Amino acid sequence: MSQTQVLTPEGIDELVAALARATPRTRLLAGGTDLVRELRRPGDEPDVLVDLTGLTELAAVRRDGATLRVGALATFTQLQWDPLVREHALCLSLAAAQLGSAQIRNAGTIGGNIANASACADGATALTALGADVVTLDGAGETRTRPIGEVLLGAGRTSLRHDEAIIEYAFPALGSEHRSAFAKIGSRTAVSVARLSAALVVRFDAVAGVLAEVRVALGAVGESAFLVPELERALEGRAADDESARLFAEGCVAAVQASIPGRYSLPYKEQAAVGLAYDAWNMLALSAPSEPAWA
Amino acid sequence: MQLVLTVNGMTYEVEARPTARLLDVLRDQFGLTGTKEGCAEGECGACTVIVDGKAVNSCVMLAVQARGKEILTVEGLAQEGELDVLQQKFVEYGAVQCGYCTPGMLMSAKALLMGNPVPSEQDIRIALAGNLCRCTGYTTIVAAVKAASGQVATPLMELPAAPEELAAEVVTDPATLAAACEIVEAETGAPVGVPCLPGDDADADPFGGPGPGSSGSRVTPEGGE
Repeated sequence: MSQTQVLTPEGIDELVAALARATPRTRLLAGGTDLVRELRRPGDEPDVLVDLTGLTELAAVRRDGATLRVGALATFTQLQWDPLVREHALCLSLAAAQLGSAQIRNAGTIGGNIANASACADGATALTALGADVVTLDGAGETRTRPIGEVLLGAGRTSLRHDEAIIEYAFPALGSEHRSAFAKIGSRTAVSVARLSAALVVRFDAVAGVLAEVRVALGAVGESAFLVPELERALEGRAADDESARLFAEGCVAAVQASIPGRYSLPYKEQAAVGLAYDAWNMLALSAPSEPAWA
Repeated sequence: MQLVLTVNGMTYEVEARPTARLLDVLRDQFGLTGTKEGCAEGECGACTVIVDGKAVNSCVMLAVQARGKEILTVEGLAQEGELDVLQQKFVEYGAVQCGYCTPGMLMSAKALLMGNPVPSEQDIRIALAGNLCRCTGYTTIVAAVKAASGQVATPLMELPAAPEELAAEVVTDPATLAAACEIVEAETGAPVGVPCLPGDDADADPFGGPGPGSSGSRVTPEGGE
């Protein structure tokens, strides 16, 4: 018999009260697309299940000066179409659009995507490239802000405490000088778990004609999405030309090789990374489409 | 726990297990067994229902998450004894074979048309990507959804509408048949057995009925008879 008690907070105060009752066996329920499957595993019932569905104020996306704030309960369908996300964080919209099926996108949330910490979470790749901070709330009513890289500790592992809920993500809103892209490779076009994903954010200085700032994140290769700083530095100051595209692809391959040395999937992923890199690069539309040498 | 759920336009109060899935409550407590359980993992879409206008997998949503929301199941599509236009087109286009995926397909398609009344074929394929069908090959389903949105849709194949048409094409003249056999033998080098001619007992069908191609009940939409 299920001993689980379900709490349904309808506002922030009630959420804090619910979190105050949390124990290490407590689970937080957002969209449910990952957690409900887990709940059905026998012998693993949570003592308390906090259903976040009623916290509609945490589903909003808003612009706060130069910062974009994305509510943790925003669904992928929302992120796919939200005008602020499309304007200021296009790679997140693109990641949301390619994630799962329509049904999964309608229910799944960006909060759950990070809290669940799947190694192939597409949202994690996009948020990492955007330099997102994770804002949390705990049972004492305290909010904390820390970089996403400090929250994601590995596959299925986060630094979130049991009484700590992600309430929003905050990152610099991309402006008109910025371009961003997201691409992934899976076993088929739709409803596909990423075998490899890449998000790319660049600030292009149109006067000097160079890439002024570059952020590259890779996902589904290793335990959590990660940035590739040495590749970012190598690209900064360069023109957005075929040579930079090639450098970008080579850098992605090197990062894949360094991340999963000796893994059975490496021969596939190091090849796939080339095509993926060119896909992401061409999505930036900074120059005529580039092609890998073998294309 | 006590839940207030609005299902197919009616509001109910139900006592449900706290961790019961929406699928469980719909099937076991409301008796709405049109919604199917397939993979139970949110992959196959057989359990798709519409919650507040959006298609969701009811196998990976707890009932408590749907409290206070409008739930539409396949049973809610027909109005006053009349099938929804989507259901009518699924029938007309032969978009149903074993039928297990059909309620989910219908609900995903319904959610699409609620938000996008004239979808492109690409829109339809994206909306249905989370619904697996192991029978139809999807072509008839996509055509049915297209037709339901008032667009011209090509059926999978043009079948002769009337059995008489087929009958008119059956050659029974022995001389013609023998000539045809010679041609086949010459081209393939393989001997052709004596053709089985319809005799006096032509009506005695050893297979117990008309084959799929000759069934008068199969409707060819648009451009058929």
